[in-house]
Amino acid sequence: MPYDPSNVLGLIRASLKRTRTPTEVPAPPVIEEPIARLVYTDIGLAELFARSAVELKMYVELCSIDDLFEKVVDFLKEKNCKSVMLTDTPLLKNLEAAKYLNEQGIVAKMWSEITLDQSYDFDAGLTEVDYAVAETGSLVVKHRPEHGRAISLVPFVHVAIVQPKNLVPDLLDLMEKLQKDGTGSGVTMISGPSKTADIEMNVVIGVHGPNVVKTFVLQ
Amino acid sequence: MSTLVQVGIGGDKHSAEFLEQAHASKFDFHKVSVKAAGDEKLKRAVNNAVLRQDTGRQVRLLDLPDSDKLRTLAGDIKQHSLDYLDYYLEQFITNVEKNGGHVYLAKTGDEAKKIILDIVKKAGCRRVIKSKSMVSEEINLAHVMEMAGLDVVETDLGEFIVQISHDKPSHLVAPIVHMDRQTIAKMFSEYFKTPYNDNPNDLCAQARVYLREKFRESDFGMTGGNFLVAENGMVACVENEGNQRQSVTTPRVLLTLVGIEKIIPRMSDLGVMLKLLSRSATGQPITIYNNIFGGPRSAGEKDGPEEFHLVLMDNGRTEILQSEEYREILRCIRCGACLNACPIYRNIGGHAYGSVYPGPIGALITPLMQGLSEFKDLPAASSLCGACYEACPVKINIPKHLVNLRRDTVGTKINHPFERFVYRAWAWSLHSPGLTAFIAFGQKWVLRLQSRSHGGWVTKVPFPGSGWTQVRDMPAPARKTFHELWKQRN
Repeated sequence: MPYDPSNVLGLIRASLKRTRTPTEVPAPPVIEEPIARLVYTDIGLAELFARSAVELKMYVELCSIDDLFEKVVDFLKEKNCKSVMLTDTPLLKNLEAAKYLNEQGIVAKMWSEITLDQSYDFDAGLTEVDYAVAETGSLVVKHRPEHGRAISLVPFVHVAIVQPKNLVPDLLDLMEKLQKDGTGSGVTMISGPSKTADIEMNVVIGVHGPNVVKTFVLQ
Repeated sequence: MSTLVQVGIGGDKHSAEFLEQAHASKFDFHKVSVKAAGDEKLKRAVNNAVLRQDTGRQVRLLDLPDSDKLRTLAGDIKQHSLDYLDYYLEQFITNVEKNGGHVYLAKTGDEAKKIILDIVKKAGCRRVIKSKSMVSEEINLAHVMEMAGLDVVETDLGEFIVQISHDKPSHLVAPIVHMDRQTIAKMFSEYFKTPYNDNPNDLCAQARVYLREKFRESDFGMTGGNFLVAENGMVACVENEGNQRQSVTTPRVLLTLVGIEKIIPRMSDLGVMLKLLSRSATGQPITIYNNIFGGPRSAGEKDGPEEFHLVLMDNGRTEILQSEEYREILRCIRCGACLNACPIYRNIGGHAYGSVYPGPIGALITPLMQGLSEFKDLPAASSLCGACYEACPVKINIPKHLVNLRRDTVGTKINHPFERFVYRAWAWSLHSPGLTAFIAFGQKWVLRLQSRSHGGWVTKVPFPGSGWTQVRDMPAPARKTFHELWKQRN
């Protein structure tokens, strides 16, 4: 080990006026719900999610699973997307979404069929997200083999599907779930299309991430 | 610094110049702030930006059931983490290693640079995409990497503009608040050799196309970190553009450089922090992207880093930690709310503070980390109005610490000898009522005489009072002093 780690930790201990790291510490401050929580209810989460997400310039539509892929095709065509990559997640696989999209004239590939470099050439990404937060209108994706990070990042159009069971009321609930279920190798929260306000505070939509994010919340 | 310049393979000319300048000039706050305060264009650009962010913050905090109590809670969480920093840091490190990451601890900025360059070299990477990080600005990392022959590109739009203009960021979250769009357009036109166009949308699109190729080809990603979660070894990063997501998606190797003070104990604490950070920074309910990562990709993943390195840097932070009085300054989550609220920052912009951390918080951090004697003027650059304290999401009592630093300046006798002389003489004269009355009498008539030709306003007095009247006038003293009036009444 070329760099001695005990050095900085030693400095920290000395700064805190002790020679040894304590084996136990008092519990961190209690997070009191009335102060920190914004959403209490479990009812109407889809509508609340939609309201928050629209405020963040996301497009949101509540729909039934029967109309889902028809609506996806319409949206992709409206946005001139000729190709789309899909997450290898149960819903999209079981319902053979790629096959249907191909039949409708859109080149559709599952994430398992393409390389990371190829993902740069797709017009859109279709994902099934792990959670959606009603408070903030955020889509939450856990990185894993079936769900590549690039799908919701590299193309200019991101279409997400939210299952009702995956809606959580508040950010606090999300954090609790992530702690309980684990984060995997990483988690991304997506709260709208990519944007910047660096130039004279002018909001420009679509910088390095997608400039269009459409979410279908299943009913 | 000169050793680094020699080591550089090929070496970028501008980086060499930048690094030399960064160490050559002595900080003269008076000179730079006077110049900045007179720059109307700068003031307009800065005010336009920070007033909008400050208003946004105030409006967005109203979403919260009790923002004041939530700020207290956030401050308490950070304070607790600092009070047991050794415990939580060790827990964090163990967890990152469990996740498959490599952790390094750097005592100084130089040590951090060496560690990072070693990592890049060992990994055999050359094309670096770097997302915005204040701690990397602290050690001029991008320039150092360029000097080492690496192709480094700042991918945050603002930082990219800073990079191509060989400038420095002037705000914690909005690095180019000091630039107007015409300046940026001119720079783009020179850099990309394209016709002048100052439409923000087009400028963005141009950078997007250029940087997209950089992302695609990159083999080394670099990020900072907003929070380090001890209980699971995860780093949380916030951003709006998506460039940071790129750093954790495309390159083969990922390096994260963070200050040791970023620790929080639990994921639930992250929930609290996220509710406050973006609201306080830009008036957003949440940033567009929140990235949580803490190790290499898992087996079977096709993207994400194969190697994950995390460098935890001290670089003066333990200096602040050891003082029980100043420790709470390390609570800072770099939201920039105190900058936006500060009447001084609004008038002089960020560059005048002579360090990467500007504004009220910078006036504390810079002297404490880099030495009070060089930066002793910064704590004086405040009217102590308290707007910063009111804005701070983790309730750092900034005005109190500014006063304490002034106290330290006097206590350690690093203030100007003449200042000490004046105060001693004043104290001495106040010990004698007769002398005080005599001086007051003399002062009154000198000032009244001077004001006579200026309509009752004192506009110019001899040294040392000239420093005062250079920038302000004051009304002439009354004909009768308070003492005289009091005597008359009784």
